[in-house]
Amino acid sequence: MKPDLKLILSVSSPLLLLIVWQAVTAFKLFPPEVLVSPTAVVAAFGEVIATGELQRHLSESLTRLAGGFTTGASLGLLFGLALALSKTVEQVFGPTFQALRQIPVLAFIPMLILLLGIDEVFKIVIIAKAAFFPVALAAYDSVKGVPKSYFEVSSLYRAPWWVLISKILIPATIPNILAGVRLSLTRSWLVLVAAELIVADSGLGQMMEMGRQMFRLDIVMVGVIVAGVIGFGLDRLFQLLQAHALRWKTA
Amino acid sequence: MTLKTLNLNAFKPVWLLGLIPPVLFLLWWDHEAAKGGANALAFVSLAQVGQALIDMFSSGELALSYGSSLGRALSGLLIGGGIGTLVGIAMGLSKPVEWAASPIYNSFRQVPILGWLPLIGLWFGSGDLSKLIIVALSAFYPTVLYTFEGLKQVEARLLDVGRVYRLNGWQTFWRIQWPAALPSIFTGLFQALAFTWISTIGVELLFSSGAGLGAMMQQAQLQARLDIVLVCILFVGLTGFAINFLIKRLSQHVLSWRSVRA
Repeated sequence: MKPDLKLILSVSSPLLLLIVWQAVTAFKLFPPEVLVSPTAVVAAFGEVIATGELQRHLSESLTRLAGGFTTGASLGLLFGLALALSKTVEQVFGPTFQALRQIPVLAFIPMLILLLGIDEVFKIVIIAKAAFFPVALAAYDSVKGVPKSYFEVSSLYRAPWWVLISKILIPATIPNILAGVRLSLTRSWLVLVAAELIVADSGLGQMMEMGRQMFRLDIVMVGVIVAGVIGFGLDRLFQLLQAHALRWKTA
Repeated sequence: MTLKTLNLNAFKPVWLLGLIPPVLFLLWWDHEAAKGGANALAFVSLAQVGQALIDMFSSGELALSYGSSLGRALSGLLIGGGIGTLVGIAMGLSKPVEWAASPIYNSFRQVPILGWLPLIGLWFGSGDLSKLIIVALSAFYPTVLYTFEGLKQVEARLLDVGRVYRLNGWQTFWRIQWPAALPSIFTGLFQALAFTWISTIGVELLFSSGAGLGAMMQQAQLQARLDIVLVCILFVGLTGFAINFLIKRLSQHVLSWRSVRA
């Protein structure tokens, strides 16, 4: 009986929300600038797909995300490793890294706009910055967390450095580093949407901001839903990759 | 996030090494600023930044913006955290509530927090109310999650003790489940605190009418006043640092007994 109730409740509650939403709009309790019906949102969805608007904005956003995220995450990984492995790098760059980490990425948007303008470079840089810190921190923390004895074993066997890296460091640190990469992917998407809302010249954020300024609530809602679905999809995709990469752990 | 504190040995001035990058950066920056011409638009001299800091400080502008941002973050934390704790308790204590609420909670949570702003802006205008709603929402998500998880993870043997003592539902909650979940609830609130500061700056950047550090930065950007922008970044960063420090201290304090538990 119980699992049935679980299924019923978890399916019916979102459905109920949709029905109430549709009913409220059907009875015209609110003007259409304030609330549009779910069917109108679906229609708007069809409209932006038919005109190719959604595909265009989305491909712009995702290209940007790919560029910024890959740049930021790989630089972050290299920096984090250097910071953890070299005492000198740690002493020289550690304090700066720790200080910059405290500043929310969004706070850099006005400065970067002034220095770089509002073109593609700015957006790539801000996404890269969002992706950089979680990966760098995860790489630093996890390499620092590798027990000393592992290094001792490796030097006892006179293992060359590539064996140390491939057989010891990578397996010991990869789960945490991947967790950091996942966090940075989520952050990148958040910052991308924010940057596109602020600058509003292209991408999904611009579609939403234009929708807001033209009081097209249906388009704004399509944007909100698409932003959520993409965020969810990216995270899921990465989770699958993560599980695949770490399958040796359970085996 | 556990990060080993960098070993700054006071007797050997190794910490001086840490000053190399910022000092080099500042020197380069000032050099660029001094070049003049097109550079002067992008780079402002350090003297100018210092002057901006003094001006903003003495005119009371900085205090006003800072106070309003901090107030927004804290009221968002209070509202979002309060509602979030209640929702988390309801979901943690009642299975039917959990089943009904979690699909909705999980799907709403997928939307990047600032992505709600155009929608909320259409509904509530681009004033303080919309900003507060988003900031509260950013505090709501982690508190729900951690309150719920905390209550779910109460050990069965503790509940057995309650049964032995024939505690009623309220007593079980107040004497057993709530204290057992408290560390997790605090973790959620700490996360919420960090999130509210970030989202406060974000909403103020996007809806830059009214007071606030984010709004001040955005308006300064439109007037190409990099000096003001930099002063704002400094204060946003210092606050972020203070929040992280506070969280670290508070969690040591509040969560310390957790490790004692067998």
